[in-house]
Amino acid sequence: MNTRIKFSVGLICLGFILALLPLSGSRTFIVKPQKLLSEILDDYTYFTVDQVARFIVSEDSSVQIIDLRSPEEFRVVNIPGSINVPYSRLLDNDPGSILNNGKTKNIFYSNGDIDSNYALAIARGLNFKNTYVMKGGLNEWFNTVMNSNFIGDRISARENALFETRTRAKKIFTEMNSLPDSMKLKFIRSKHIAAKKLDGGCE
Amino acid sequence: MRFRISDLSFFESAIYNPQSAIKKMEFIKKYKLVIVVVLPILILVLIRSAGLNHFKNDAKKWAEPSIKQSNRITIEQAGSLKKKSLTINLDKDVVRIRELTGDVQNIPADSVLRKNHVSMILKHDGPVMLFSSDPGLSARIWMILSQMGCRNIYILTNSSDNEVFKYKFRPDTLSN
Repeated sequence: MNTRIKFSVGLICLGFILALLPLSGSRTFIVKPQKLLSEILDDYTYFTVDQVARFIVSEDSSVQIIDLRSPEEFRVVNIPGSINVPYSRLLDNDPGSILNNGKTKNIFYSNGDIDSNYALAIARGLNFKNTYVMKGGLNEWFNTVMNSNFIGDRISARENALFETRTRAKKIFTEMNSLPDSMKLKFIRSKHIAAKKLDGGCE
Repeated sequence: MRFRISDLSFFESAIYNPQSAIKKMEFIKKYKLVIVVVLPILILVLIRSAGLNHFKNDAKKWAEPSIKQSNRITIEQAGSLKKKSLTINLDKDVVRIRELTGDVQNIPADSVLRKNHVSMILKHDGPVMLFSSDPGLSARIWMILSQMGCRNIYILTNSSDNEVFKYKFRPDTLSN
């Protein structure tokens, strides 16, 4: 048989095989199921609201907080410095543009525990290892940070540090969310300028 | 017992029918290139599509019920299901949910992907409900099973308001 014909037959067969491949979409989980399972069952994928409060108070630049709620909910109230990527739109565009940012830790949160954990499983399945969840979501944030108060006579150094962090995070949260939308961005910028001046830099 | 030439292997049949063996050899020689290229790919495709060791579905399509929130079911709703349900308790502690009428299996989350468990889920004709005291864990497992192609999987929750914001933020007007 002529080589050309052989080659053509081969290509046609290959085409058929590719057409019959079970890959129906453009994006499939890369990580193997068993590996993904062991990853998502690990406790290190969670951050507590207190840990997130500490990140906010210290303005940790190695952390990106991702709000998975709707834009309407985000506009009403959000964790300072967070970006809004509604869960319904997480897979619309390339998630890598949001999550693939070097050593930055991406922390998902929603109102509760469900949407953020879906997002984590998706992100980890697509091999974005730098993804985490704020356990309990915004409801837990309000329960622990916003409603924090101290009752008692004595306070240990550890408890005091925790209470102080919560109080400072609560202050930043309230200040930030009390501002009109147009002022929120200015507020964040002004905080950065103030920090730079304190560091001896110039703007 | 009757013995036919077609029952014999290629080499045995070559002894009895050398003409047909030569023809077969010629055929293999003729299509050598096609066989060498296509056959391994075909085998790989078959292994990949049949095995459970890979995800092969479009992530967005199979995550759709979680976006529409059609994969959540409360214990009350589960009690009134008509089809026979299978409830999987993902916690290590054994639970008994009175409202549930169907089969309840205690499968800890770390062993949910064992072959026998996956095939049990795949073969079950009716809704499969994942239950855990931590709804986040159910959500994670739901996403894995769903991406593996398991249909009819639901997250069983105590209440339907897990993703509802339960507090009211009071702005500090003095800070403006």
